[in-house]
Amino acid sequence: MPKNSKSFHAIGTDSPRKGGKAKVTGKAVYAPDVSLPGMWHGKVLRSPHPNATVVDIDTSEAEAMGAICITPDDVPDVKYNERTISVPDAIYRDNRVLTDRPRQVGEGIAAVAAETEEKAERALKAIDVTYEEHEPVIDPEFAVSDDAPAIHESIVRDGEVEPIENNIAVERDISVGDVEQGFAESDHVFEHSFETGRTYHAQLENKTTVCRPEPDGGITVWPTTQTVHNVRQLLGEIFDINLSKVNVKRLELGGSFGSSIQTNSVTPITVALAMAADKPVKIVSSREEDMYDHCRYPSKLDVKIGANDDGTLNAVEMDVLADVGSHNIQAFPYLGVVAGFTASLYDFEHLEFRGRAVYTNKAPACAMQGFGNPQATFAVECMIDAIAEELGIDQLELIRKNYVGEGDTFWGQGPTIKSVVKSCGVEELLDQGAEAIGWDERTPPGEKDGRYRRGIGMARGFHTSGTGGPTPGEAIDYSSALVKINEDGSVDVVSALQDHGGGTRSAGARIVAEALDVPIENVELSPTDSRNTAYDVATHATRGVYAGGAAMKKAAESVREQLLENASRLLEVPPDAISLEADTDEGIGRVFVEGVPDKELTVGEVAKRAELNNWGTMAAVESNRQVACPPAYAAQFVEVEVDMETGEIDILRTAIGNDSGTIVNPKLAAGQQHGGFYRGAGYALVEDTQYDENGAIDGNGLLTDYRMLTTMDLPSNDETETFFVETEEPSGPFGAKGLGEACINPTAAAVANAVYNATGVRFTDIPMTPEKIIGDLRAEYTDRVTGKPMVPAEDDD
Amino acid sequence: MSSEKITHGDDGGNERTIELTINDETHQVRVKPNELLLNVIRDKLDLTGPKYACGTGECRACSILVDGEPELSCLRLAVTADGSEITTVEGLSDGRDLHEIQQSYLSEGGSQCGFCTPGFVIMTKDLLDNNPDPTEEEIRDHLKGNICRCTGYNNIVEAVKVAADRSPENGESE
Repeated sequence: MPKNSKSFHAIGTDSPRKGGKAKVTGKAVYAPDVSLPGMWHGKVLRSPHPNATVVDIDTSEAEAMGAICITPDDVPDVKYNERTISVPDAIYRDNRVLTDRPRQVGEGIAAVAAETEEKAERALKAIDVTYEEHEPVIDPEFAVSDDAPAIHESIVRDGEVEPIENNIAVERDISVGDVEQGFAESDHVFEHSFETGRTYHAQLENKTTVCRPEPDGGITVWPTTQTVHNVRQLLGEIFDINLSKVNVKRLELGGSFGSSIQTNSVTPITVALAMAADKPVKIVSSREEDMYDHCRYPSKLDVKIGANDDGTLNAVEMDVLADVGSHNIQAFPYLGVVAGFTASLYDFEHLEFRGRAVYTNKAPACAMQGFGNPQATFAVECMIDAIAEELGIDQLELIRKNYVGEGDTFWGQGPTIKSVVKSCGVEELLDQGAEAIGWDERTPPGEKDGRYRRGIGMARGFHTSGTGGPTPGEAIDYSSALVKINEDGSVDVVSALQDHGGGTRSAGARIVAEALDVPIENVELSPTDSRNTAYDVATHATRGVYAGGAAMKKAAESVREQLLENASRLLEVPPDAISLEADTDEGIGRVFVEGVPDKELTVGEVAKRAELNNWGTMAAVESNRQVACPPAYAAQFVEVEVDMETGEIDILRTAIGNDSGTIVNPKLAAGQQHGGFYRGAGYALVEDTQYDENGAIDGNGLLTDYRMLTTMDLPSNDETETFFVETEEPSGPFGAKGLGEACINPTAAAVANAVYNATGVRFTDIPMTPEKIIGDLRAEYTDRVTGKPMVPAEDDD
Repeated sequence: MSSEKITHGDDGGNERTIELTINDETHQVRVKPNELLLNVIRDKLDLTGPKYACGTGECRACSILVDGEPELSCLRLAVTADGSEITTVEGLSDGRDLHEIQQSYLSEGGSQCGFCTPGFVIMTKDLLDNNPDPTEEEIRDHLKGNICRCTGYNNIVEAVKVAADRSPENGESE
């Protein structure tokens, strides 16, 4: 694929991000920073039991203290799913604003509002709840057994009540070709089982909502969210308010990583409290509450791959058991994408996928960066390394022989959302990564010796760019934007598109600047809410720049036509004779007729004269659905050092490569690569939430107990190489594809493959904490060095 | 709800007045003995730069300087800071001009979602006040208690290096 050779004035430049000054001065406003006159504070009474029925709630004492209290009887009796971006029959409804049937520790039973946080806290403690406790279901294998008590008796889907059996929230089987035939025709069949952790998002902003009831019966809401429009739709449905009276404000978002695609549980609770109190109410989740509110889908994956001696991969069979916790937020799409991303990794002629997602009495699982892709890619890419070794073929060669690339069909979001690949930089990613890490010099595990062993590993992957496609599919995917030229030539972009911090909105401003040929400094992003913008589905699925940016580009192009039309009237030449050019030195957009010196205006002059002539504002609003879901490819190479005595794994070096088409914000794009790798390495090595038999998170449920990698656990800047292979995606705005989630998907497999290369032990259960891997490592250490059993290291070493 | 009298402000009879000099402005503030310094700064003095994120001293998003020393404002009672001079992230910039540390976090992409940035900026100031020309290892060691969930820390480390280069002491002030 030829390198992108277009030249731009706004795209690919490194001026500081829009809104960045507010962030570095502490003035950016996140939901916890919102404070309103007359605002009360809310607190949620949460179940201490993992599986129980509420027999009685006595709020009299709390009410006598002057607090407003709400219980399950005081909230609308609406069964909903907090995530609303699938078509109705793909949405499983099993949740309620407050419940008298808690299915996890931390589920909301009642809530109070009072003038101060302290009063609310005291009132909360005065509420007396009587519970009938049930046996908790913690282990997903037990959950599906006939002995397990039912967590949900039924759910609602597309208006119909459906029974739940054996705690199975969803089953999804997907097949292509005939996998048995594929295995029969293969020279070898390889099998491995993998297990992935219950990672917590650990976004720094705890989920928060402020709600103000309005005199007209409407509400204004300031929530933590990735999508103001879906929060609006859900609140309108639950509380039966016309959407025209539900205003959801878009704020800065203090990290999310997928945990606010759904409307977070505190949001409807805050609304119910504010309506009951008839006052503005704010609820800020504590960190403990937040840790019981969301996590990544932990999964067990049994994988079987059939291959020929020459490295041709024929068939894949995958059995997945996913533990969804107390509520089924999006297990149906989750299973679909695990299958789809597997199908899109390699060109398997035969595929058989069987997925089950089961309820347990734990925090509900939801999307987390990569959504199904980190799980699938970990399993498949570890197997590719193993298969390459077994067949005696270099891993990169095995990948080159089989990857899904240009002209192949890519499953962007499960079996219903697919498109044909039009841009692909896989070959260059492999070449450049191999060169950077020194792939050719790597030695096999058998040649490693001693206590500290180094190894090099790699994995390849991708993420989809959005969930669009030529046909509608099961997920909703479109964005909208309004672009207008002000009377001085500056430009407002009005869009609900959310930015998690990756620079999505800044990229949108660059796209608009480029499309209108005005300097990036002249384009600003307006504050927005759900009432002054048209629909945008969410910033998720790595769609922000590719799909959100495309809607902005479409609106900007429409405005560009108006600009040419107005200029044509002023300069008295046809629109086609007019050129536009961004003069970045002067900070103006030039409107001129090439070769005719006196026929020249600035964009500002055109706008001002259009105003004086009463021609109207040059403005356009557009909605846009992308009709493709192009893969944003990634390859990561790492070198690790493993301490065979303690099980500690140190990442020494990394080379992180991405093909995201045209790069819009270079420095921020590199930041996506660093951040994805960091969270992927945490996923591989340390991050997990374990539950005890009483349904409580091990430890105290505080951030203290949740291990994450720090500045000291990652390679230095000199040892972190990032690079882009800039292809040009024909369907993307100025050739751009997605980026964010592609940066985490291959990491865990790359690290695990490096650990294998260092030690000769293949770990298939992540995170690879020292306590999990030490036994196998010492067994290997014994074999190689002394031939005798290892004496365990002293505890106080 | 009963129609009882509503008490505003002091409801325990045990509030006291403390004096805090924050970002060179001196305030007399009524606080309760159990109020956290973070909450007083955010809720009573309207400086929402310092953030609550963990509440257990694990992430440093609430970092401020108290009498020049870095402190976790989520773990300190406000009454114990009576008479102190405090600097928050808001106190670094002079009017509309950014401090070189803020400038560097912005130019190097050291701030993504930005929620941890106030704490990182304060800890960076603490580092550069004491060690104007730190090595990467010293930077990483000094910031090891700050959690950033977005950046993977590379661009933060880069921002600190650039800030050190830009500092007046190193002769490259902008």
